[in-house]
Amino acid sequence: MPVNQQLPVDLTVNGVRHHRTVEPRLLLSDFLRHELGLTGTHVGCEHGVCGACTVLLDGEAVRSCLMFAIQTDGHEITTVEGLAPDGAGGALHPLQAAFREAHALQCGFCTPGVLMTLVPFLRDHPAPGEREIREALSGNLCRCTGYQNIVAAVRLACDRSPSLRR
Amino acid sequence: MTGPRRYVGERVRRNEDARLLTGRALFVDDVRLEGMLHVAFLRSQHAHARVKGVDVAAARRRPGVVAVYTAGDLGDFWRPGPLLVPPPPIPGLLFNSCTQVPLAKDKVRHAGEPLAMVVAESRYVAEDALEDMTVDVEPLPAVVDLEAALAPGAPLVHEHLPSNVAAHVVQRKGDYERARSGAHAVITRRLRYDRGAAAAIENRAVVAQWDPRAEELTVWDTTQAPIPIRNGLAGLLGLLESQVRVVAPFVGGGFGPKIMMFYPEELLVPWAAMRLGRPVKWSEDRQENFYATTQERGQIHDAEIALARDGRILGVRDRFLHDAGAYDPYGLTVPINSQCTLLGPYDIANYDSEFTAVFTNKTIVTPVRGAGRQHGVFVIERLLDYAARQLGLDRVEIRRRNLLRPEQFPHNHEILFQDSAPLVYDSGNYEPALDEALRIVDYERFVREEQPRLRAAGRHVGIGVVCYVEGTGIGPYEGARVTVEPSGRVRVATGVGTQGQGHFTVFAQIVADVLGVDVEQVHVITGDTREFHWGTGTFASRGAVVAGSACHAAAVAVREKILDLASHLLEAPKHDLELADGSVGVRGAPDSAVGLGEIARRANPLRGAVRPGTEPGLEATAYFGPERGSTANGVHAAIVEVDPETALVEVTRYVVVHDSGRVLNPLLVDGQIHGGVAHGIGNAFYEQLVYDENGQLLNASFMDYLLPTATDVPPVETAHRETPSPLNPLGVKGVGEAGAIPAGAAFAQAVEDALAGSGLEITEIPLSPNRLFELIAEAGAGARGR
Amino acid sequence: MIVEGTFTFQGPREAVWDLLQNPDVLVKALPGAKRLVRSGEDRYEGVMRVGVGPVTAAEFAVAVAVRDKVPPQRYALDVDSKGAVGFTRGTARVELEALADGRTRLKYTAELQVGGKIAGLGQRLLDQAAKLMTRQGLEALNQELRTRLARGSAG
Repeated sequence: MPVNQQLPVDLTVNGVRHHRTVEPRLLLSDFLRHELGLTGTHVGCEHGVCGACTVLLDGEAVRSCLMFAIQTDGHEITTVEGLAPDGAGGALHPLQAAFREAHALQCGFCTPGVLMTLVPFLRDHPAPGEREIREALSGNLCRCTGYQNIVAAVRLACDRSPSLRR
Repeated sequence: MTGPRRYVGERVRRNEDARLLTGRALFVDDVRLEGMLHVAFLRSQHAHARVKGVDVAAARRRPGVVAVYTAGDLGDFWRPGPLLVPPPPIPGLLFNSCTQVPLAKDKVRHAGEPLAMVVAESRYVAEDALEDMTVDVEPLPAVVDLEAALAPGAPLVHEHLPSNVAAHVVQRKGDYERARSGAHAVITRRLRYDRGAAAAIENRAVVAQWDPRAEELTVWDTTQAPIPIRNGLAGLLGLLESQVRVVAPFVGGGFGPKIMMFYPEELLVPWAAMRLGRPVKWSEDRQENFYATTQERGQIHDAEIALARDGRILGVRDRFLHDAGAYDPYGLTVPINSQCTLLGPYDIANYDSEFTAVFTNKTIVTPVRGAGRQHGVFVIERLLDYAARQLGLDRVEIRRRNLLRPEQFPHNHEILFQDSAPLVYDSGNYEPALDEALRIVDYERFVREEQPRLRAAGRHVGIGVVCYVEGTGIGPYEGARVTVEPSGRVRVATGVGTQGQGHFTVFAQIVADVLGVDVEQVHVITGDTREFHWGTGTFASRGAVVAGSACHAAAVAVREKILDLASHLLEAPKHDLELADGSVGVRGAPDSAVGLGEIARRANPLRGAVRPGTEPGLEATAYFGPERGSTANGVHAAIVEVDPETALVEVTRYVVVHDSGRVLNPLLVDGQIHGGVAHGIGNAFYEQLVYDENGQLLNASFMDYLLPTATDVPPVETAHRETPSPLNPLGVKGVGEAGAIPAGAAFAQAVEDALAGSGLEITEIPLSPNRLFELIAEAGAGARGR
Repeated sequence: MIVEGTFTFQGPREAVWDLLQNPDVLVKALPGAKRLVRSGEDRYEGVMRVGVGPVTAAEFAVAVAVRDKVPPQRYALDVDSKGAVGFTRGTARVELEALADGRTRLKYTAELQVGGKIAGLGQRLLDQAAKLMTRQGLEALNQELRTRLARGSAG
């Protein structure tokens, strides 16, 4: 397939439908960040290890640096911007609120990926133990926090918000 | 009116979090500009080679490529970078300054050194164009091993020098030889500490835009030091400093290397933006980061300690080699930190320290969290462990006997620190920190009950207890401007950049307390030279100490202005006024209170005169420059269990007692410590940059260079002690690196203790399971051979 | 990186020797080889396409010089290959031993320097990849040898 060929992609991101024509080799992470301007999804390694680029594909966590944009044709993506639609001045998602409360972020670069990993995890694991939380987090690298307060934030969110368990 | 609310010392939640949590914070790679071009760099595949030519003709012809530059295309702009930190004035010091160049010309000195720059319509096309280029090189034998580098006839990294010696430094206090001759015991070891990466999750990035009508250059840069970058770029590009605006927005972790000025990319992207008249962006990818972002920590120490019978240290001698990498733009900060930090919290009257910094064909070495301090701590703590064993003393007891006592402060160590000031500890109270750590980890019970019980059950558990100091908060200075807006909101602008430390909150706390306003009403701006353009940067655990003190001073000056105006307005003496809840009023007369916004409006009238001797507005700028750094200290205690079959180490407890003077925000201080310990665990067990004998880095990805994950880092138990620093009005000391510094020493002691009796000695970090397995096997063979 | 091993060909030593000196045969047998031509006396140039682990397959310009030739017993190869994702340089030694049963044992030892992206990203997999490619190439040559011998005996 020639690299400069353009293919159509039709997808829904944070509830908004987008139709674009893109190069087949365009990564989903670059598509979200540079085509749609959703720069909350971060890129830390481009080889699927650090987890900073994690987004939800039809509700499940995927690494957007390991997918091509055209693979998401017909699918639904949720990025960190979709967790709190009103932005920084609006209401935070309960997990985001717990992160602030527990000081679970420092530079904040890995945080969007961590949040998008935890959202489906908490949906599927209503009352996780420490071990389970740490295992769920083990695919997301954080250089600032030592993970301790991320674990604390998850517990806080579970204690406070039974809604996360839905 | 309620009394002023105190924020300093409280666990205040961060002002910056909402932006970061919702994905709305601006990082450099998020900058998108109309017509923006993208850059990729052609990098050397060889660690050491003569460059005979770079053929870029095909790349220039590729559709979508706008420009390709090699060293020859740079004209006068091609010149070696500045020496950032000249060495301290140590008598007899030898220093060979060899700084990096924007693009390699005749020779490459490390794998990954840039040779050419492609500017294209997209990053994808720019990377395609790299494949169009060919480089004609003559490979040279690489300088990799530190000792081989100094052998006669070794290939030379810099051929105009007689050898690969980058620096040679001797610092002495007392008379070590004399101390040694009277010693009861002399213990000697060779100790090694290998290289690691800073591995901030955000790679570096630079975006530059030249506005030809305003004649202004704007540069977004993931730097820890926006103001020096602004100054340097203005000089190199022939612009006024006011024509260059450098913005370090949110930066995704710094840990040291993001202050390495001037990276080739940091110079070339603005240069290309001006030349091409279009915005230009470069974002480092992770693999580039492993070659092109500075690294730290290869040292070999041959150290010796002389002791009295009772375990008191009579003197220490240390000879060490320090791996500088291919160039030495950062001077001697790292090895001098090692040299100074070795003295630790101990009373060491005689010290003889000599180091040789060595050029190698590896990525440049500059400070990474700890900045050489861990090496010094590792050496002295290991020596004390072997001394305790030889003298039949408890490891805690030998440390206790040597700690500096409270009445010995300020304590002058008589050698020069990295900031060129004498190494003088400002304040400290060391023994209580040790006792507190022992209490929390329950040392006595562990050693007397738990360890024997578990050992009897065949389990290998051990404990490590180590002490350290951390020189923090060095000068020269930082500044801040505090402004009360007519809305009543307060703006604080300071020059330091922020990489997650919580400056938006900590500086707001300091100012909120002085002005009696809500902390969320204080809006902090950092890292934008248009907002504040004097200062140096965020390094050496100095943000809260130096910039925090400047914020305090500026807030105090604004408070005086408020009181002056309010005194006039309310017809009350200043000492009867109080500031609280965003207002100023007469104490005991709540109805008199006037909002600070109203005072700000009156301070900037549209009619009438501003009274003589006053200035318009509620605004003040202040600077703070400490006489020298403040010395923090602490104790780490670790309990580990080792499986001798697999050499896996499980960290079961980790205790940190830290004294960083007055604690501004315990939530943030704990966070710094947690992250530092995780970094220290990485350095101790997982992280090692492996170079082969040709200088090729063999693990240049997160698949092979392992960072600790959530399952590798234990919960860290912290406690704070507060011995105020007399060197700044807040009484604070830095904390940014404390977690990382003693971890290697603590684990070495704990793992050795877990396998006590096996003859195992741990004299090197990192300690990967593979390496530990080998060491256990060697110790076993040694034990059988005896 | 050192790659070494032995391989037994189902045919006589002279036939194996001829095969190994024929670039047209080698280009078909070696995995990823796209072109291989004689550029001078005992010199060859070509293009290979190789990927290792996470490094996408990319083209390498290969130059080979044959020396120390003692037909049909042994020879050495100086190999120099370079591409956008890295380089390999080094020397390979090949020895052929005629076995009593009419087969030929080939012994090879290559000492290669690897640099660039393939060194940094593919290190874990490099040894395996090199072994695998060598094995595949030798199997293919053996197949070619059997075909030729069968054809020879038939004709």
